[in-house]
Amino acid sequence: MPLFGKSQKTPAELVRSLKEAINALETGGDRKAEKAQEDVSKNLVSIKNMLYGSSDSEPPADYVVAQLSQELYNSNLLLLLIQNLHRIDFEGKKHVALIFNNVLRRQIGTRSPTVEYICTKPEILFTLMAGYEDAHPEIALNSGTMLRECARYEALAKIMLHSEEFFKFFRYVEVSTFDIASDAFSTFKELLTRHKLLCAEFLEANYDRFFTQHYQRLLNSENYVTRRQSLKLLGELLLDRHNFTVMTRYISEPENLKLMMNMLKEKSRNIQFEAFHVFKVFVANPNKPKPILDILLRNQSKLVDFLTNFHTDRSEDEQFNDEKAYLIKQIKELKPLPEA
Amino acid sequence: MEIQIHQHFSTDDSNNNNNINNNNKKSNLEQTLVAATTHSVTANNSILMPPLDTKLLANKQGLHANNEANNINMDVDTADGEVSVLLANKNFHYDALSNPDQSFEADVNVDGNGGAKFVAGDEAKQLLSEQTHAQVTWLDSEQIDALDLTTLDIGNMFFNRVDSAEIIYQKKKKEIKMVGKYVMGDVLGEGSYGKVKEVLDSENLCRRAVKILTKRKLRRIPNGEQNVQREIQLLKHLQHKNVVALLDVLYNEEKQKMYMIMEYCVGGLQELVDSAPEKKLPLFQAHRYFCQLISGLEYLHGCRIIHKDIKPGNLLLSLDQILKISDFGVAEQLDLFAADDTCTTGQGSPAFQPPEIANGHESFSGTKVDIWSCGVTLYNICTGQYPFEGDNIYRLFENIGRGQWQAPDWLYKLDAQLAGLILGMLQAEPAKRYSIQQIRCDPWFISAPEEKGPPIPIPPLKHDVYRRSTVLPYLDAYHYETERDLEEVYFTEHDLNRELARQAAAAAAEIKAQQQQKQLAAANATGPSTSADASTSNSISKEKKSSSLKRRAKKLTSCISVKKLSNCRPS
Repeated sequence: MPLFGKSQKTPAELVRSLKEAINALETGGDRKAEKAQEDVSKNLVSIKNMLYGSSDSEPPADYVVAQLSQELYNSNLLLLLIQNLHRIDFEGKKHVALIFNNVLRRQIGTRSPTVEYICTKPEILFTLMAGYEDAHPEIALNSGTMLRECARYEALAKIMLHSEEFFKFFRYVEVSTFDIASDAFSTFKELLTRHKLLCAEFLEANYDRFFTQHYQRLLNSENYVTRRQSLKLLGELLLDRHNFTVMTRYISEPENLKLMMNMLKEKSRNIQFEAFHVFKVFVANPNKPKPILDILLRNQSKLVDFLTNFHTDRSEDEQFNDEKAYLIKQIKELKPLPEA
Repeated sequence: MEIQIHQHFSTDDSNNNNNINNNNKKSNLEQTLVAATTHSVTANNSILMPPLDTKLLANKQGLHANNEANNINMDVDTADGEVSVLLANKNFHYDALSNPDQSFEADVNVDGNGGAKFVAGDEAKQLLSEQTHAQVTWLDSEQIDALDLTTLDIGNMFFNRVDSAEIIYQKKKKEIKMVGKYVMGDVLGEGSYGKVKEVLDSENLCRRAVKILTKRKLRRIPNGEQNVQREIQLLKHLQHKNVVALLDVLYNEEKQKMYMIMEYCVGGLQELVDSAPEKKLPLFQAHRYFCQLISGLEYLHGCRIIHKDIKPGNLLLSLDQILKISDFGVAEQLDLFAADDTCTTGQGSPAFQPPEIANGHESFSGTKVDIWSCGVTLYNICTGQYPFEGDNIYRLFENIGRGQWQAPDWLYKLDAQLAGLILGMLQAEPAKRYSIQQIRCDPWFISAPEEKGPPIPIPPLKHDVYRRSTVLPYLDAYHYETERDLEEVYFTEHDLNRELARQAAAAAAEIKAQQQQKQLAAANATGPSTSADASTSNSISKEKKSSSLKRRAKKLTSCISVKKLSNCRPS
């Protein structure tokens, strides 16, 4: 035991006293809460230092970390911390995120014990996702960093994608606070693009609900940023080879073509440009279904004129010009299907 | 640093057995032997002498010995740097342009074995234009033009005795050169397509690498030009941290050159593996690179790109140890609407090809080709060997195509999980071969092998372990070097040898010091470790010339905008 300074608490003691402090914070009155707040902060710093090491102590020993994680699982403290995140002070919130992410990354051989633990306690994930709700905007960004750390693990991403809560993201990405909406969008995107096969399966299984009911709304959002970001993500999703089945389905639906053609005419040049990259897939499709072909044929000459004058100042971008020329040629050569 | 050797001799010497060209009535002829060879280059311009380089020493001895034998033999290896050797008339300074009719030039043609022979003018010209010897660094266009103006009778071939003591060296001035907005630095490496040099973006001061492609070299490679066009098309649209970024492409029509500006990388995985003991990496380090390779490959496959030439030589490393997949020369992008990943051509490196290509199948799954190559790559960097070998490509393909490969017992002993993963990736049957998803779920892939000992460091660039910018010396010379500084740059072989010996001693002392430091550190493990590197850079002499740092007002011209050369030779 060191002669000077405080005695080192064991992981079990730390976890216990933190748990007590949080319970006190949850229930206590003004006076008690103040004291509890102090205890919570102190204990969080100690746990953080135990995991990361601090400037004046050695990096943590493996058995201490193992013991600490075990205590965290047994006491269910992770969930408790996340549920009370809004009650913890500013620095404390950051420490919670640091502790959570560190414990999550812990690996023993091929096993990730924390990931396995969270799989058995999915409410941790759902509580984190609810962090984007309007009730406590101050915890949204901390929840976001923890969520994205979770999304790196396929098992956890799967739970999140296939949950009812996932569809709440369509609301979160449109909240009025810009930084929260952006953070929610990056988590949303991470969940949809990180694990290719998982995402492809999800999109195929939930095609109607995802695209027809929800994504359409994002593309028609009144918020410029939402419109532009979601259109860009749509292009990325459709052009990813892993989502081939989803793409073929998407480009065979006339509603989607109409939407893209309207977006080509948007005021914003950036949106026009992103829409072009989705629109081209409809035209390039060698097996266009009749409804798609009909729309293109009806607008044949208008489209040719429009595309000829479309973003003519992008002379530097060779690929864009090649693609544009290709589309014009394709549209010019369109012929109606022979009457069967 | 370039070194020019002025060799003085007189052609009207009575004991000279040379038969002098009748056209050249003057007794004193200017003879210029032009050749180029290489040796190590230091980043610091103020260093007068080249650093110790055994290659150079060998080179010099070779030169010396063969001079005695009335021949010149040089060991040429242009991958390192440039030294030009000029043998000039004793009475005339080398000035071919001012008196072109009377100059007489021979060209050293270096064959593949490093031996050199004299080649007469016309032949030399032809050789120059064809550039058949990639390892010779040829001179710039003015000097080539000078060669054009000369006439030479083949009958006048002669060998001349040269006393090595009469050779004096001259440090080549660091002439600053710009391509577009990029300031050129030294050569980083050389491929079949051309050199790769370090550059500095003069607008944002970012360190970049430029791949210089000459039309002449491209034409000699089957599909060379198409491959480069394809690579540019593909790379422009790729954006991933494990795929090398192409930032800019510049063309110079006059010089028939193309400049591809890329991210600065410190070299390939191949060089790193080669520099390691037993040519293999510790497992934890191999694991780190392999994970990044799979991440980059998954992105490429998502973009419908089949790389087809995955191998350690095509995997670059950045300064912060990020692996970058490069060389998309034979890559193929699948059609957006292709039903599956069927490919019909495979042009990658033979040792990394799967059985379906070795057996000459008409069509095969493209993604599975890349998986196989990744398997061979993993095997190679972990063990230093190849799963399949053969004296020639036929034997090799026979071995690859023979049937299911089995992991050797010693591989299981090394790491059973690793052996399992490699076996999964080297399934002869493409359908049974792992997918990227399966690799991601593989126990070896998920688990992180224990870090035992330090990782293999990135090999130093020309003895510079810090990989300092090689552009700075050029900028330094441009801004702070005055004409007077350049006058005293002649030095003799004696000086050179002395400097080399001095540097050898310094290097030895440094190694000794480092060892002592290590022992000290080991003995005193708890104490604060002091930097062992303090002496490293100072050991080399820093004879900063006593110069009045006079800035010269000189207009910097980009070579992209140079006026058309007066006499362009037909190619």
